[in-house]
Amino acid sequence: MNRINPLYLGLLLIVILSLSIYKLNLAKNELKEVKLSYAKNLRLANELSSLRSVYKNTKKLENSLKRILMQNILKEAHIDVKFKKSGVKLSSLSINKKGLNFLMGKLLNNTYNIVALDIKKLSEQKASFKMEIQW
Amino acid sequence: MKFSRDKKIIFLDPHTQQVLSDEKLDIILSPSLYWVKKITLPLNNVRDAKKLLVSLFEDVLPAGNYSYSIYKDKAASVKENHSSFFIFAYEDKVILDLFLSQGILLANVSSIHFAQSELVQIQGALKINETQSIYFKDGVLTLVPCCWIEESGSLNLVDVKLTTHTITLQQFGHIVDNKSLINIGAILLVFIFLTWAELFIVNQDISKIENASSEIFVKHKLKPTIFQNKALLKKYKRIHTRQTKLRQDVSATLKKKNIKHISYKNNIFKVSS
Repeated sequence: MNRINPLYLGLLLIVILSLSIYKLNLAKNELKEVKLSYAKNLRLANELSSLRSVYKNTKKLENSLKRILMQNILKEAHIDVKFKKSGVKLSSLSINKKGLNFLMGKLLNNTYNIVALDIKKLSEQKASFKMEIQW
Repeated sequence: MKFSRDKKIIFLDPHTQQVLSDEKLDIILSPSLYWVKKITLPLNNVRDAKKLLVSLFEDVLPAGNYSYSIYKDKAASVKENHSSFFIFAYEDKVILDLFLSQGILLANVSSIHFAQSELVQIQGALKINETQSIYFKDGVLTLVPCCWIEESGSLNLVDVKLTTHTITLQQFGHIVDNKSLINIGAILLVFIFLTWAELFIVNQDISKIENASSEIFVKHKLKPTIFQNKALLKKYKRIHTRQTKLRQDVSATLKKKNIKHISYKNNIFKVSS
């Protein structure tokens, strides 16, 4: 009569099954959390990299600014350009209306981080211009 | 130190109360606890004959939950390709109930035998209780009332040498039969297997997503911690909001006439006309 009671074996199987289901539920909850965390990280990464590519792409911003400043329309303005590691300072003692319109149009329609701006009207056709851009 | 207890052979009969101590017991079942048939079948092995047990008892047994047992009667002379068998039917619950009523603990039961196989040496009739005797008739141990046989000896178990023909009682056989238990066990095993398989897949998914999450950091050249990245994102969002606002203010200002001075410093936009 030393044979193991089959009901004990059944009970053991039920216990193993219960533990397996419990462990599976834990794993499923962990999977949910990991998925949520992944989605958050992905959103953060996309937002961060897109904003960084807009405001922190120093080389691209610098090159595009140089191209704008080389335009003939701005030659008369004698724009003083001081490049720094953290940005650039632009100033002109006298810029004509057309040149100012062109420059402002180009700078505002691009994604420069303008931290300071000063435009003073000198006459109907002329103005003084100062701008600081950071990157 | 004593590791094994002495064994005692007892003859279990519903009409005889046993006097027991804490001993290991080899139990011989009285013929009143089982049904027996001696049959000759055109089979040579017990395994094949076992399959026929239920049908061989079909018309004989009263309603109940029976277990079956069989052994070959090697002493019988039969035709070629034929064998003689002793086949038994018994109700586990009836025997277990008798154990209970006689104070026999299942843990103390070492083996259970049929009187048919163990008392082959008896001569004539033996009285087993006040009203019944046993004797061999045509090779089958038969239970008869005492009054049928006038001279009956008493049962002496001292010289009995137990055979290997034993049975194992199914404790819950009357509730669930073995086949159902095996089916239930198989179903449980399948569920356990499926659960483990799913667990494996879920763990794989977790590891894949965690790897993908790490790759995001590398791919987008992010800072090592979420905290640093969140602070950086906050900074760029602030810049974006301010620059958008500046452009909206400039756009609104340019619609005005006679502007003399436009200034923007420390996030403050001023216009004077």
